[in-house]
Amino acid sequence: MNPVAIPPGLAIAEPMPDVLPPVSARRGLIGFLRRYPTIAIGGGLLLAMLFVAVFAPFLWTKDPTSLAPALRTREPGAEFWFGSDMLGRDVYSRVLYGARVSLLVGFSVALFASAIGLAIGLFSGFIRLADSIVMRIMDGMMSIPPILLAIALMALTRGSVQNVILAITIAEIPRVTRLVRGVVLSLREQPYVDAAVASGTGTFMIMWRHILPNTLAPLTVQATYICAAAMITEAILSFIGAGTPPIIPSWGNIMAEGRALWQVKPYIVFFPAVFLSVTVLAVNLLGDGLRDSIDPRLAKSL
Amino acid sequence: MERRNLLTGAAALGATAFAGPAISQNVAARTLRFVPQANLANFDPIWGTQYVVRNAAALVWDMLYGVDENLVPQPQMVEGETVSSDGLTWDFRLRAGLVFHDGTPVLARDVVASITRWAPRDPMGQMIRAIQQELVAVDDRNFRWKLSRPYPKLKFALGKTGTPCCFIMPERIAGTAGNSMITEYVGSGPMTFKRDEWVPGARAVFERAARYTPREGTASWLAGPKRVLVDRLEWVVMPDPATAANALQAGEVDWWESPISDLVPLLRRNRNILVDIADPLGNIGSFRMNHMHAPFNNLKVRQAVMMALNQQDYMRAVVGSDTNLWSVLGGFFTPGTPNYTEAGGAVMKSANMDAARRLLAESGYANEPVTCLVGQDQPLLKPMGDVTADMLRRLGMNVDFVATDWGTVGQRRAMRNPPGQGGWSMFHTWHAGADCVNPAGYNAIRAHGDGAWFGWPNVPSVEAGITEWYDAPTPATERAAMDKINTEAVSNVVYVPTGFFKSYQAWRRNITGVVKGPLPFFWGVAKS
Amino acid sequence: MWAYIIRRVLATIPVMAFVALFVFSLLYLAPGDPAAVIAGDQATPDDVERIRASLGLDRPYLVRFGEWVFRILQGDLGTSIFTNLPVGHMIQQRIEPTLSLMIVTLILAVSIAIPMGVVAAWKQGTWIDRAVMGFAVLSFSVPVFVVGYLLAYIFALELDWLPVQGYTPFSEGFFPWMENLVLPATALGGVYIALIARITRATMLEVLQQDYIRTARAKGAGQGSILFVHALKNASVPIVTVIGIGIALLIGGAVVTESVFAIPGLGRLTVDAILRRDYPVIQGVVLLFSFVYVLVNLGIDLLYTFLDPRIRY
Repeated sequence: MNPVAIPPGLAIAEPMPDVLPPVSARRGLIGFLRRYPTIAIGGGLLLAMLFVAVFAPFLWTKDPTSLAPALRTREPGAEFWFGSDMLGRDVYSRVLYGARVSLLVGFSVALFASAIGLAIGLFSGFIRLADSIVMRIMDGMMSIPPILLAIALMALTRGSVQNVILAITIAEIPRVTRLVRGVVLSLREQPYVDAAVASGTGTFMIMWRHILPNTLAPLTVQATYICAAAMITEAILSFIGAGTPPIIPSWGNIMAEGRALWQVKPYIVFFPAVFLSVTVLAVNLLGDGLRDSIDPRLAKSL
Repeated sequence: MERRNLLTGAAALGATAFAGPAISQNVAARTLRFVPQANLANFDPIWGTQYVVRNAAALVWDMLYGVDENLVPQPQMVEGETVSSDGLTWDFRLRAGLVFHDGTPVLARDVVASITRWAPRDPMGQMIRAIQQELVAVDDRNFRWKLSRPYPKLKFALGKTGTPCCFIMPERIAGTAGNSMITEYVGSGPMTFKRDEWVPGARAVFERAARYTPREGTASWLAGPKRVLVDRLEWVVMPDPATAANALQAGEVDWWESPISDLVPLLRRNRNILVDIADPLGNIGSFRMNHMHAPFNNLKVRQAVMMALNQQDYMRAVVGSDTNLWSVLGGFFTPGTPNYTEAGGAVMKSANMDAARRLLAESGYANEPVTCLVGQDQPLLKPMGDVTADMLRRLGMNVDFVATDWGTVGQRRAMRNPPGQGGWSMFHTWHAGADCVNPAGYNAIRAHGDGAWFGWPNVPSVEAGITEWYDAPTPATERAAMDKINTEAVSNVVYVPTGFFKSYQAWRRNITGVVKGPLPFFWGVAKS
Repeated sequence: MWAYIIRRVLATIPVMAFVALFVFSLLYLAPGDPAAVIAGDQATPDDVERIRASLGLDRPYLVRFGEWVFRILQGDLGTSIFTNLPVGHMIQQRIEPTLSLMIVTLILAVSIAIPMGVVAAWKQGTWIDRAVMGFAVLSFSVPVFVVGYLLAYIFALELDWLPVQGYTPFSEGFFPWMENLVLPATALGGVYIALIARITRATMLEVLQQDYIRTARAKGAGQGSILFVHALKNASVPIVTVIGIGIALLIGGAVVTESVFAIPGLGRLTVDAILRRDYPVIQGVVLLFSFVYVLVNLGIDLLYTFLDPRIRY
């Protein structure tokens, strides 16, 4: 700042200390990651989990469903790296293959809920007639606690990965819709939208070119939180017994099966719990970092 | 005091203003807190055949006869009976002074009504009804049962532990139709049911019945005097075994009906807890097949499964690594009993997957789906289901695994439609050893087609053997009949037993009088 | 302002109507036959038909829906299929433990989380901030039942400070009641604390940059007064919003916590009912939870008008 010549006789007050310390600026990708370490840590952990899930068959695993009751409940050791469970299955293999289910559920729910919520939110934000009806329905669905909604939906069908994804997605759509609609409503009043309308641009084009890009940023951040919530919800559903069938290992149902024994054989619950917690942590950190990098003010509403 | 109550200790100093009416030390000492094997969801022992309902019902209702620890029926509510020389007319006389909990006396009318409600829903009762000419109350204390053929096992039918048991209810309650639930729980048993304190899924409360008059004799299982030595019995439902184990160790409950075997070493390490076998007669696990539809309507397919089934895998999965708890069965009856037989059962005692695969190929199995109903909420049945899915796959069958809850299994197993249309191919269950000692009361071994237990096996040779057993005049002919039944049941695969297993029970040291038996017996149990 | 209040209250009616429609449709869509369940193992097909007719299961959808709504409005929530007890009675038996758990968790979480968030915002960028936020994210990530088992093991079994399980009614004394609730509330509250702390911090960060904070400072207000009086009051709207939304999380978490700590509450009732397909109970409980949730959010909306006079719709 160029120093301004101060006229004599003018008293200038002392500079006020900022209530908050200033944040220093950095440049480049490395700079970006250093400025937002949460993205680096979160993203890195998540990539590691993805690697484990995708390459599970090559990481010295056995068939996760093959049981050997004669070798049940062995402690972690040379033969079973994470020990064996009550039916003699290898916990290490089950945990690694379980990553597939948990990550699949998390990403699928995040993707579908975002896509469907985006569509409904755009539609509702733009077409006033539909707005009140849709928002009442969304309010109604949000009134039912998501876990109860998911469990109730699971009660209607047989347990399977697809049904779990469907149930949790339905439970998460209202929040996304709300978010998108909020953005649409606030953007609708902007001058450039008026200009587009005035120049005769169709509603669809306005949605596509002007509104949609602005929703993507908060939507992405919300999607990461949905992913984390979906993984935890899947674990809770399995814990209760309303989740993925035990033939397909997921972190949730490995813990559910091992919960009775956790005091004598804690490793059956411990390893999937650690993997689940680390993954959810990674996704949350990633979401926080993305949000901070886009616009810290979003923290107030997400 | 077994626990240091950090907060209550501090509170005792200064929070008397907040303290409400607390249960006094004395009452707490006379309250027995018991963790049952399952939730008591409903309380009609004739409508529902679950063991947990029977266990609770045995407290509230009394029976005409009761089996002792040798499974011999002893008179309980009955003072004595006389049988005519041709064995066709039975005259019974009730004990004097029997009273229901609401003060009304027990009359022969109530007995007749109760038997009439019970008989159609019990296989032995059905057999008796089929030959019944008359069941009538002669006066207030006497009733008569006239048959067209002799039925020597009548007393056993009235006093057995197998569900449904013939509990005696007031006439107005027994008048409820068999497939509606009773709404009043009034009996003449040693305890009353506190209806207002019943929270299904969480708690059931019983109190000692002041009006109960025990008969003389020595108490043994369902026979003799049923003297209750505590004032109050609380059933605390705990679906989570880890929580139940902690509660028992902390002294928050006194007696756990069925601790899982993996937690038993933990409980044994606690100086205040005793652990022992719950029931010497144990249980028989069952792979129950649907004989009406493919693929198990094909004898060779059933035999292939029996050949492939490894009882050791199932038993380890169900009860754990403790070999005191299980053994391999060579037949369908309870080991350790005088009439136990392994005739014809060699194929069951070992598993031969290769031979099974060959037999399956011979059978003409056309890859029809095997719809397996597995109750995931049952700690004994879920592991069996997992082992079955693995075994059937390795055998080369097309498995359709339906993981659901026990209630749904109970519903769906009654459906006679083909598996693809809401029916089923197999489900898992278990039978109490007390019910499988011989054909009397052993519903699961009956093979008379449509009228048989779920699965509806139709094997005339087994039925012939059962009839021979009922008619057998001497122990030797009984023995021969049992051998025949066993051989026929094995070669025709009525169902596939998955093994014989026992379970533990655990209780705190200050509880005395806990005995082994097919159900938990609360009389004679004291808390100090 | 009254017009706003009345409008908000009226707006809840269509919401509840939708919930009722959804909840009723659950029974209609569900597989399985309640009549077969009630008839029991030994019933003949005729018995099942008779029971189905007596339950009115063969009448058309709208007729049944109408009857059901009519009964609900009179307070009759139906009868449980499995226990034959009125659903209302079953709910009433279980409501005190769940309510106690949720209130204690709410108070605990709010009284810990808000100061946490405020301090983190105040000391933004320092290790305190990172520690608080790190703890928050961690609480968010570890499943509730794992936390529950750990707490039970350490504090109840090993240290023997608190009971392992169960629930003591309030009528038996404040401290026994509280003892049974400390561990479950802590386990359940973790996620809630994380959520509230994060929102508090984020909102406080923005508020603390505002001009009126500088003014207050210039006028000589102390740090505590600035943080808790001037800043927090202005930050309250989003915080209260999150507290309201978070109650849905609490309800979900209560289901698991009640299972781990054997608390005989509504959460376990719901899970048992859902797993057994006891539809009248499921309907009754989901309806109840939704109703409570709608009321709570209504209360929060109305609270806004007091917290922030600028909000006038």
